[in-house]
Amino acid sequence: MTDVERLFRTYNAALVRYLTRRLGDRDWAEEVAQETFVRALRQTSIENERAWLFAVATNLVRDEARKDIRRRKHLALLAEQERDTVVEPEETTLERAQEAAMARKAVDALAERDRLALLMREEGLDYNEIAEALQLSPGSVGTTLSRARRRLVESYEGLQKGREERENNAAS
Amino acid sequence: MQHLDEGTIHSWLDNALNPDEAARVEAHVAECPECAAAVAEARGFVAASSRILTALDDAPRGVVPAAAPIRRGSRAMLRAAATVLVVAAGSLVVFRNGGRETQRVTNASLSAMKTVAPVASMNVDSTTATPEAAAAGIPTEANSSRRTAISSQQRNNASVEKRAAKTATADAVTATDQAFTPSRIADAAVMAAVPGALSLKVVETPRRPGETVTVYEVPPGDTVTLTELIVARENPPAVVPLGRQSAGQTAGMSTKARADAAVASGSGYSGAVGSVTAPAPAVSAPASAPQAGFANPVRTIKWTDGTTGNTMMLSGRKSEAQLQEIRRRIEHERAAGAARKKP
Repeated sequence: MTDVERLFRTYNAALVRYLTRRLGDRDWAEEVAQETFVRALRQTSIENERAWLFAVATNLVRDEARKDIRRRKHLALLAEQERDTVVEPEETTLERAQEAAMARKAVDALAERDRLALLMREEGLDYNEIAEALQLSPGSVGTTLSRARRRLVESYEGLQKGREERENNAAS
Repeated sequence: MQHLDEGTIHSWLDNALNPDEAARVEAHVAECPECAAAVAEARGFVAASSRILTALDDAPRGVVPAAAPIRRGSRAMLRAAATVLVVAAGSLVVFRNGGRETQRVTNASLSAMKTVAPVASMNVDSTTATPEAAAAGIPTEANSSRRTAISSQQRNNASVEKRAAKTATADAVTATDQAFTPSRIADAAVMAAVPGALSLKVVETPRRPGETVTVYEVPPGDTVTLTELIVARENPPAVVPLGRQSAGQTAGMSTKARADAAVASGSGYSGAVGSVTAPAPAVSAPASAPQAGFANPVRTIKWTDGTTGNTMMLSGRKSEAQLQEIRRRIEHERAAGAARKKP
C-alpha cells in the first residue's frame, strides 16, 4: 500500500510550487496537489513516485482546463489585467509585482510542453522523470529544455525592454 | 567531434549525459571557442530562466474565481485528539480554521463522518476533493488527511472553498453539528490510531450450502460477514480490482446480511448515506448526491479470490473503505495461516 503520508511530506511543497507557477493561483495549485495525493491513495504501489505525482498533477490541470477552457481563459485574462493595474498587497513592492506580471506573461507564452518540462526541471526532476511524466523520449528532453529556457528568457527580456521604454517615454 | 547542439549542451549542464558522453563534451568545449561561447550562453539561459520562474512563487490566491456560490454552514468542532478526518466512500475532507467558520463536506463522506461527542474546538482547514479516493485503507487516508489539515491550518481559505464549489466532483453540503454523531469517527479513530488494532475474531461460521460463511467481530462491536461462494467455474471470473465495488448490492448477499440490511433500513442513527458510487476515471465525475436520511446500511464488497477463483463477499455496516481494509486483514491472515500450514 502506498504510504501517502510519506509521499506528501516529501513532495507536496515541490508539487504546490510547480502548480503555482503553472497556474498562477496558489489556492488552485493547492487543490490540485491535494487531489493528486488523493489519487495516490488508490495505488497499491507507485514505481517512480515523483514522475507519477507530477504526471497526475499535470493531467489534472489539463483535464480541468479542457473542461472549461474558454471560460477559464477569459477569467484568467481578466485576472491578469486586474493584476497589472491593481497594486499588489502590502508585502509586495511595485517592482516585484511588475516582475511577477512579466514572468507570468513570459511563461504563458511558452508552448505547454516546453513550459511543463521546464517547471518540472526546476523542481529537480531528472530527464528520465520528465520524459516519463510528459511521455517524451528521454533524448528529446534536452532540446525541449534548451528551447524553453531560451524562449522564456528572450520573452522576459523583451517585456522588460518594452516596460523600460514606456517608462522612459513617460519620463521625457 | 562536431559542434555541440543546444540540446546536448543543456543535457550536459543538467548532468543528464552518461559519463562517457559528458567527458567528450567537456573535452570538446575545452578546445572549441565557439562551443565554449555557446555553453556560456546556455549557462546564462539556465540561470536567468530559474530566476524568472521564482518571480511566480508569490502568486496570489483565488485568482480564478469559482462559478458556483458557496454555501456556508455552522462551525464544526472536531476533537483534536481523535482522528480528524474519516475517509469514507472515497471522499477526502480536510477541515480548517482560518478566521472563517465555514465548513464543507462532500456528500458521500459526510454521511460517514461524525464528531466524537463532546467535541472539542479544533477547527481545521476545509477543502473538498474528488469523492473518489477509493479504499486504500483507513489509517493511511486519515493520517494523510490529518497532515493536510495541519499543514494548511493557518491559512485563510475562502477561495479554496470557492474553487471546491466550482469543481464538478464535489457537492457541497451544509452540515450542522447535529449531523455528526460519535460512533463512526470513533471507529475510524480506533482503526486509524492503532494500525493493526483491527482484530479479526471469528464469531461464528454458519453452514450454508455452497457457501463458506465466516462472521468476524470488528471493534467497537460490529460484525462483518465474509461469504465465499464455492462454485465450480469453467471460465475464471474476471478479477475485480480494489475500490471498484459498488455497495448496496443485496442480490447474492447471504441471508444474514440481507436480514441485517432489513434491520439497517429501519435504523435511525446518523451515519452513512446509501450507496457508494463506483469510481469513475475522470476528475470531473460527480458523486451521487443524496443527503436526506441518515440510515446506516449494510454494505457489501465483492471480489474474486486470487487463489481459489471463488467469489468473495464481505458485508457489514461499514464504509466501503473500511470493508476494504478488513478484507486486507482477512487476506493477510489467511495467507499467514496458509504459510504456517506448509511443511
